[in-house]
Amino acid sequence: MTAERSLEIIRESIEQSRRAMTKQSGRPMIWWGSLVVVFAVLIAYLWTNHGGPVWNVLWFVMTVIGMVGAKMMDRRREPLPKNIIGSVIGKVWSAFGIFCCGLGFITCLAGLGVVSFKALAPTPGYFIPITSIITFALGMASTTTGLILKNRVISICSVIAGIGGFFLALHFAGGEQLLVMAAVAVVGLVIPGIIVNIQTRK
Amino acid sequence: MFQPLDPLLHSELRLAVMSLLLGAEKAEFPFIMEQTGATAGNLSVQLDKLSEAGYITIEKTFKGKRPCTTCRITPAGLKAFEDYVEALKSYLHTDK
Repeated sequence: MTAERSLEIIRESIEQSRRAMTKQSGRPMIWWGSLVVVFAVLIAYLWTNHGGPVWNVLWFVMTVIGMVGAKMMDRRREPLPKNIIGSVIGKVWSAFGIFCCGLGFITCLAGLGVVSFKALAPTPGYFIPITSIITFALGMASTTTGLILKNRVISICSVIAGIGGFFLALHFAGGEQLLVMAAVAVVGLVIPGIIVNIQTRK
Repeated sequence: MFQPLDPLLHSELRLAVMSLLLGAEKAEFPFIMEQTGATAGNLSVQLDKLSEAGYITIEKTFKGKRPCTTCRITPAGLKAFEDYVEALKSYLHTDK
């Protein structure tokens, strides 16, 4: 075996490991993206027609369903090595989850009257653009994933979804904001997930 | 001057296994088999050789009712791999 061949094997093996990670990143993106779309449309409908923003509590139900589904997918998929790439991506999305759930939980408490709105937004007439903030955070987490995996499709779609969604959500109020969230999930999660799946199947 | 190459690492399959494990905390047997394209029997033999040299550790557990073999690189394996790459450089420099 020549020195060149040895280096080729080392390079190929390291590259294969990274490709395997990318291959399996498509399905969770489609899963979480689809869940966000379904729940955003459902909550938007209920918010507008049946009782107002209290239906936002369904986001917590979505989180539980999402985690159970992700766990089941983990069991069925091909075994992946635990490496630094997977670990960093996992932590990025954990941080996203913690921030969104934290923000959602506190605003829910305000909605239920446990915490006063004044404590959250002291300026009269000012509102917290929660959909914009979550959309922006989703875009950042997804872009970071794309950069770590060196996947241009994920990165570009996520930047468009995150920044576009942030400003777009500011133009809508109430349940309509959630339709922006659904669109962001399609552009930032579902479409890149499908493209990654197609790319890695080749 | 050529530096001697570690004969244990200077084999296509064992080198591929070590390279796969290099960036991984640990990897399961089916993953290594799929990535290297080796047969289960051959891979098992080569893993045992690496394990006997202290380059990797092999842990045999169960996932539910199914047996699960997990491999991870040891500090000695990491050092051997670094030395191997260093030795390779001497061959490449001579070629130019």
